[in-house]
Amino acid sequence: MEYVVQTTNLSKRFGKESAVIGLDMKIRKGEIYGFLGPNGAGKTTTIRMLLGLMKASSGTIQIFEKDLNKEKINILKRVGSLVENPSYYPHLTAYENLEALRKILGVPKTRIHEVLEIVRLTEVANKKVKGFSLGMKQRLGIAASLLNSPELLILDEPTNGLDPSGIIEIRNLIKQLPAETGMTILISSHLLTEIDQMATTVGIVTKGKMIYQDSIESLRMYAQQKVLLKVSDSEQAWRSLLGNGIKADWEDGIILLSEHSDGKVAKAIHTLVHEGYSIYRVEEEKRSLEDIFLQMTTREKVI
Amino acid sequence: MVSILQSEWFKFRHSKIMFIILTVPIIGIFLGFTSRFSNEDFEINEWYLSLLSMNLTYALLFLPLITGVLASAICRYEHQAGGWKQLLALPVTRGRVFIAKYVLLIVLVLVMQVLFFVAVYIVGMIKGFTDPFPMVIVWKSLVGGWVATLPLIALQLWMSILFKSFAAPFAINVILTLPTILVVNSERFSSFYPWAQPFLMMYIGGETGDTFYVPWVQLLTVVGGSFILFFVGGYLYFQRKAV
Repeated sequence: MEYVVQTTNLSKRFGKESAVIGLDMKIRKGEIYGFLGPNGAGKTTTIRMLLGLMKASSGTIQIFEKDLNKEKINILKRVGSLVENPSYYPHLTAYENLEALRKILGVPKTRIHEVLEIVRLTEVANKKVKGFSLGMKQRLGIAASLLNSPELLILDEPTNGLDPSGIIEIRNLIKQLPAETGMTILISSHLLTEIDQMATTVGIVTKGKMIYQDSIESLRMYAQQKVLLKVSDSEQAWRSLLGNGIKADWEDGIILLSEHSDGKVAKAIHTLVHEGYSIYRVEEEKRSLEDIFLQMTTREKVI
Repeated sequence: MVSILQSEWFKFRHSKIMFIILTVPIIGIFLGFTSRFSNEDFEINEWYLSLLSMNLTYALLFLPLITGVLASAICRYEHQAGGWKQLLALPVTRGRVFIAKYVLLIVLVLVMQVLFFVAVYIVGMIKGFTDPFPMVIVWKSLVGGWVATLPLIALQLWMSILFKSFAAPFAINVILTLPTILVVNSERFSSFYPWAQPFLMMYIGGETGDTFYVPWVQLLTVVGGSFILFFVGGYLYFQRKAV
């Protein structure tokens, strides 16, 4: 399997503090990889190491199956990035900001107009960035990251500080990029709802450790709701449900129905009533992705 | 490398700091008209005394201070809003970025030197000097002053990358520049103090046996030595700097 990004046992220490511990990140080609974690979990530190802005204390980084330490320039030529707060030169206009970068990247000048068009900043191209709103600066940052038509786009909290319409705009933009250009995207966020709407794969970090890394579908599986039954003599009731071919779990005197379509629930209850168990409560337990995320990040273990 | 230089020049060209360079001829003209030397008693080229007095204040104070301001200025817009991050995430090596910034600085300082001597010439014209313009002497002190400033610029660039604030590298620069006024009065110490070298190299009354106004040995050891120390120090620091 070809990985666009693969880190092995990546660690970063600041003095005695460990910001990133033994991180194994794997991103396949064409994926939108959601890099999730609460603030201070080590997301930005990891991204800085991926871009060579910071040296790793230990571990290796492979991008495009090349060692970052050995072929940094060749790798960075194919990478676009936006790290944390938007970066810009306040004394230059939007166009000039991109021109300063373009001179180094060596792409044609028309590309500047193209990327300004993509992030819809064409109208303010000749205004000083100093006076831009945070959202505009953020969009300029995205324009800058697209300048070299990268194969790997690394966006660190790209929707930070944007208003809802700005967030939707950026989200749609990010979603359409891999489809149009085969780009691979690494996008970090502390908001699961953000990632949920864009990513195809999710990596969750907390306190510097990767605690979950799989497709978004697998993560959603955890979010599936369950129907809880409180009944008399619950263990026996559970066994009789199983005996009748109804899938269920038993936990602390509560029966959990894993199939929760109306018909299945009605059938389960009918069975129990028929066999003479008293039903005290039928509850639906909803676990949002947020709940799972919180549970994962606070308990620090994989469910 | 060329592309990085072009980008650096582009960023600098659009900053207002560029006008700092224009203050140099103004300072020069000002110095020229406030000098208290009078050459009525001497039978020498009129230009010499004018050069002596103008070079004194310029090389002692303004040259090292302005180069420091320039160094801070070309790093300031990188510090302001994550410029380093964006620049170093591009396909560039840090070494090349450092060298590009340094090259930009030394070219600017060379331009400054030329502008200063243009000012000297203007002062002489206005004062109505009739003696021939001492081209060789001017050429020597122009290039000499420039060469002597190279190590200072390396240190100033290092400090400007190190400190996010504009004031800190400037303060260091002032602290190192001011003692020069005392140091140049001492035969023993002035030869060894890097900040005194621009003055010595531009002091047209100095030894004339060598190509410049200081002996080659001093040029190579003090200027060359401090250049290697400051340049390599800044270069290595920048390699390791986490941004």
